[in-house]
Amino acid sequence: MNAAESVVRQRFQEFYMNVRSPLFLPNGAPQREYGFLLFKEKFMVRHRSFKTSEAVIQAIRDLVPKHVYYSTAYYANPTAPMDEKGWSGADLVFDIDADHLETPCKKIHDTWTCKQCGNAGRGTAIKPCPKCKSEKIEEETWLCEQCLQQAKEETLKLLEKLTTIGPDVGIEPGNVKVFFSGHRGYHVHVISKDLSVLTEDGRKEIVDYVLGLGFDPDSHLKIKRVSSFTDPGIFGTTQVIAGPRAEDPGWRGKIAMGVYEDKSLTESDRDKFLERPGWSLLGSTKSKSVLVKAADRWTAFIDTVVTTDTHRLIRLPGTLNGHTGLLAASVKLENLDDFDPFVEAVAFKRKMKIHVKEAPAFKLGGEKLGPFHNESVEVPEAAAILLLCKHRAEPDSK
Amino acid sequence: MLTRADLAKYPFLNEATDYLRTLGVSVNDISSAGYEPILERAESRLQEALAKGIVSGDFLDEKVEILSFPVSNLLLVLTGEDRARRRYALAESKRAYELLRHEPPEKLEHIASTSFGWKIRRTNYQQDNRVFDFQVGIVDYLSNSVKLKEPRWKLVNRILDAGYVYTTRDEAARLLEEEIRERIFTRTGPKSSLPDIPDSLEVVLESVKTAITKYLGAPAQYELPRTAMPKAMPPCIQHLIKELDVGKNVQHMGRFTLASFLVNIGSEEEEIVRLFKPASDFSERMTRYQVEHIAGKRGGGTKYTCPMCTTLKTHGVCYKPDELCSTIRNPLSYYKRKARNLSKEIKGA
Repeated sequence: MNAAESVVRQRFQEFYMNVRSPLFLPNGAPQREYGFLLFKEKFMVRHRSFKTSEAVIQAIRDLVPKHVYYSTAYYANPTAPMDEKGWSGADLVFDIDADHLETPCKKIHDTWTCKQCGNAGRGTAIKPCPKCKSEKIEEETWLCEQCLQQAKEETLKLLEKLTTIGPDVGIEPGNVKVFFSGHRGYHVHVISKDLSVLTEDGRKEIVDYVLGLGFDPDSHLKIKRVSSFTDPGIFGTTQVIAGPRAEDPGWRGKIAMGVYEDKSLTESDRDKFLERPGWSLLGSTKSKSVLVKAADRWTAFIDTVVTTDTHRLIRLPGTLNGHTGLLAASVKLENLDDFDPFVEAVAFKRKMKIHVKEAPAFKLGGEKLGPFHNESVEVPEAAAILLLCKHRAEPDSK
Repeated sequence: MLTRADLAKYPFLNEATDYLRTLGVSVNDISSAGYEPILERAESRLQEALAKGIVSGDFLDEKVEILSFPVSNLLLVLTGEDRARRRYALAESKRAYELLRHEPPEKLEHIASTSFGWKIRRTNYQQDNRVFDFQVGIVDYLSNSVKLKEPRWKLVNRILDAGYVYTTRDEAARLLEEEIRERIFTRTGPKSSLPDIPDSLEVVLESVKTAITKYLGAPAQYELPRTAMPKAMPPCIQHLIKELDVGKNVQHMGRFTLASFLVNIGSEEEEIVRLFKPASDFSERMTRYQVEHIAGKRGGGTKYTCPMCTTLKTHGVCYKPDELCSTIRNPLSYYKRKARNLSKEIKGA
């Protein structure tokens, strides 16, 4: 443990000692596995189980971990080795992380350094090093308003899908919970007894459904014979292309409505298409491309690995994130739009002196700070801890 | 609800098992006089499945149909042959599908819910030219549909409503086929205790074993080459190795795929760890720990297998699939096949 880490650990300890309100506990708490990543040598204490909020906080006070996790899975014996745990189900979890989003501000706040020649630059790391061609590049990321804003917007998009299309697959909007991770993104949990038993393959299908992936136009366009008997508008008998209509249940109806946003169609085409036999008027090739485009517009960025993993450990809300010192916080769905992680996830209140190597301007706890360049400063404790966690500062030795 | 004629058609149902229990027959009775037709039928089920991949209907004697099924299962358990189990389960389930698809909806519903515990309800919804007779609970639908590859089975291409998937009668029968296949495969699996086998059964067992060798070939001797053959590795694995080698950042799924692939083809842990060295965030201790974990030397002791191709596609690890890729579902099968072909070429040259 280096000097910065021992200061951070000490502050974490103080924080956990003074926690008054009971810690968030997931539903089915006793069937979950808990894990603690310690500051010391990044050691992971796993396979623990707790029945009450008090027991969890006691363990945290004893260990003072850098990160606290719990399993998205439910087990008969959470403390047993992996093979003997008796998996009985797992929440459906979506992870939206700024790491996976391309934000323009990364050029401003992310830096990289070549471990071999010391060459350095800004933005996403260039590999190999342009100077010495070494591949050993160290990256330092930053958490910034713009990145988190974008992650929030993706989360809102996903929530919109979950509330509009989720009911199709049995997701009740009331059972969807959102958490700020305390770092660069948000977690969306779906609590559903029915869906919890899904296998990885099954979860992948749910993800694909919510995001409209794997959409096959041929499954939705059918050649159909119609005659004046069935459709009064038709003369004699003819073949038409039948496809999704706005009044269809679930996804098909939404896709049909999505065609209205297709800029490649003329207005009259768009109107025609919703009338029967509208798809015929577009022709089959055009119909296919219109459908595929309407499906594509649904996609949102989520980390598929997290959702399909049925044994994952995920951050426990109400605990501190060791990458930032910010709180992982539960956010009410209706408040997400206004949620400001730089104010609401702040856990420390005092002031602290540190020596900052390099940091861009940032806002935390409603205060504007930085930019700093190789200077000793007294800043709010939350900002100091963030800089220490991000390797941007050292404790002030004076 | 179900008649004895139904149980003859679907001898894998719970009701068929109950019926057998009421008869109170045991394995030893098979050798008694009068039971020969059952033994004969049990053998013919297996012979036909092994030879042609089908089991024909033979409903002259319902009792023989019902009683012969568990005997066929027992014979397979005794052979301990996975290939035969798979082939037989497929043949029996195909036979069931052909019968089920012509059943009235209420019978399908009954079988699905009582024997397989499905959430299923009747409906009558028409779209385009198709009539949907059922709504199947999403979990029951998915646990079977994920094994079917055509795009029409994907949820995104289905009609859904509040946790239920609309299916036609034929589709419900097809999903049940998967359920039946799974059940028969499980029932013919290794058992912790086996009854004493009467001599008459022993004779049949020998002839079934002969048939297995005749139709499926001798048990595979050839497994994997003893030293790794880089040329036989699929495009995704070769790509991952190349990416790591030039120091590109390979995501977790890619790393796991590579490590589990190499562990399974028998590479040395040292070699695997060395491959990861150029990674910018390389930590020898961490890598070694993870490789050992995948190899089953740590944690629960499970040796991990390489992820399936569909999973690799989802996570963007699949890379420029070639012709051979279209015939396999796991990178390890690609390797097995290519290695075999390559070593044949070498021997031939």
